[in-house]
Amino acid sequence: MFKVENLKFKYANNNEDVIRGINFEIKEGEIFGFLGPSGAGKSTTQKIIIKILEDYRGNIFYQGKNLKDYTNEFYEDIGVSFEMPIHFSKMTAMENINFFLKLYKNNADVESLMKRVGLWEHKDELVGTYSKGMKIRLNLVRALLNNPKMLFLDEPTNGLDPTNAMILKDMIREFRAAGGTVFITSHIMADIDQLCDRVAFIVNGEIKEIDSPRNLKIRYGKSVVMVEYQENGETVKKEFLKQEIGKNKEFLEILTTKEIETIHSGETTLEDIFIKVTGVKLADEN
Amino acid sequence: MKTNRLTLLIKGELLRLHKYNVVFISIFIALIWGVVLFFVDSVIFNALLPFLILVDATMMSLMYIGSVMFFEKKESTLSSVLVTPVTNQEIILSKILANTIHNLFSTSLIIIVFIFIKDVKINYILMLLAIILVTAVFTGLGLLLSYFQKDFTTMLTNLMLLMFAFLLPSALYGFGVLKADVWEYILLLNPIQAAQEIIMGGFRAVTLDWKYYFSLGYLIVGGILTYKFLIVPKFNAYAVSISGV
Repeated sequence: MFKVENLKFKYANNNEDVIRGINFEIKEGEIFGFLGPSGAGKSTTQKIIIKILEDYRGNIFYQGKNLKDYTNEFYEDIGVSFEMPIHFSKMTAMENINFFLKLYKNNADVESLMKRVGLWEHKDELVGTYSKGMKIRLNLVRALLNNPKMLFLDEPTNGLDPTNAMILKDMIREFRAAGGTVFITSHIMADIDQLCDRVAFIVNGEIKEIDSPRNLKIRYGKSVVMVEYQENGETVKKEFLKQEIGKNKEFLEILTTKEIETIHSGETTLEDIFIKVTGVKLADEN
Repeated sequence: MKTNRLTLLIKGELLRLHKYNVVFISIFIALIWGVVLFFVDSVIFNALLPFLILVDATMMSLMYIGSVMFFEKKESTLSSVLVTPVTNQEIILSKILANTIHNLFSTSLIIIVFIFIKDVKINYILMLLAIILVTAVFTGLGLLLSYFQKDFTTMLTNLMLLMFAFLLPSALYGFGVLKADVWEYILLLNPIQAAQEIIMGGFRAVTLDWKYYFSLGYLIVGGILTYKFLIVPKFNAYAVSISGV
């Protein structure tokens, strides 16, 4: 659906490129995640592929046609949800929605969208009186107003409570299930892990790795069994590879001779893999 | 450019002018001027009414568009509009036209009040033309000015300085400090002076001379050139700089 080739970008007031020759492809019907710390180039890349920033080098193709050859009609195809709630605060939710709705040729069913995010009962309230969670849910409604083929979501669950985050994630999955394509930028590992079919790790304007979360875990991760047991009055912690653990003599000896306190298996998280691949901690950067 | 989309944007702008209380403020100011003018004698009144219309069409236009731009900047709402099928030109034109309609309404209010309570002789067509043209030109200038201002307070300060710079030569000429005849021509290049000339043309007592036609042409051509070469090209950079993506 989108093909990005050797994309480079420099802001007018910067000496160096902030995007340094990245290549990736977003396939139709997938949820593609861009994972990286603040300042890595996630939002800049998104600004470029939604045609807000235009002075880039390299090529971007949307549906096989150069993005630069598209007029503003391109926006009939896409929906964008920004990280921060962006609404006219002194207007009601419906006044906000109706203003944007009429700008598109293709209109979604607003009532069902508003009901799906739990805002229908609050549709006539001023957006300025909404909580942050409500405003972010309204962001997603605004992005879906034109029945887009593709959604761009910038940090979609940032600052949301678990219930609101769950509603949003369910809606993103439903959108994909209905044939839509999604591009998500996030620094929240759990979102990427739970939602994305493929993920790109981006640091300092460069993509370090692209693959599905599952493949990344297989490639970089390891399955282990962790055991805590008592020895000489102290708690000792040991880790064993899960593979052929039944033949591991040390593990079997601990099980039969020691007083076991805890025992559980563990998988390498996407965050561990991100750190391993990029050498950068996501949390430290935020 | 799609007329339907432009109409929708203008309606949206007008609705927001109402919701953000800009319409209320402009009516309130118009009424205050109405009360002030009602109590002054006819000599002061005859001098003050054209001046008020000039202030409303120039300074107030700049202030109203400035406030609209800063409301949008504060709420980053322009970002949402940028990712819809509307073009930058449609966004700019909708702001200029909506502000012109709004200002036409508030200025007309002042004039209508005085048509009923004072004996004011107005050429309605020329006055309408003057208010629309001056408001549109100064709204465009206000839009351009707002691209480069950090906040509303800075814009107000710079606006005052700008108005002072524009008004000072006219005042000095009026008080006879600048005496040479050449100033009569130079001052017409001042957009406020040109605005004053065509507003005065809306009063029946005034005879239209070359200064009127020059000012009319100057504001029309100058307005179009400013729009084409400054307001539209600079808008894109401004929109990107405030987009909160």
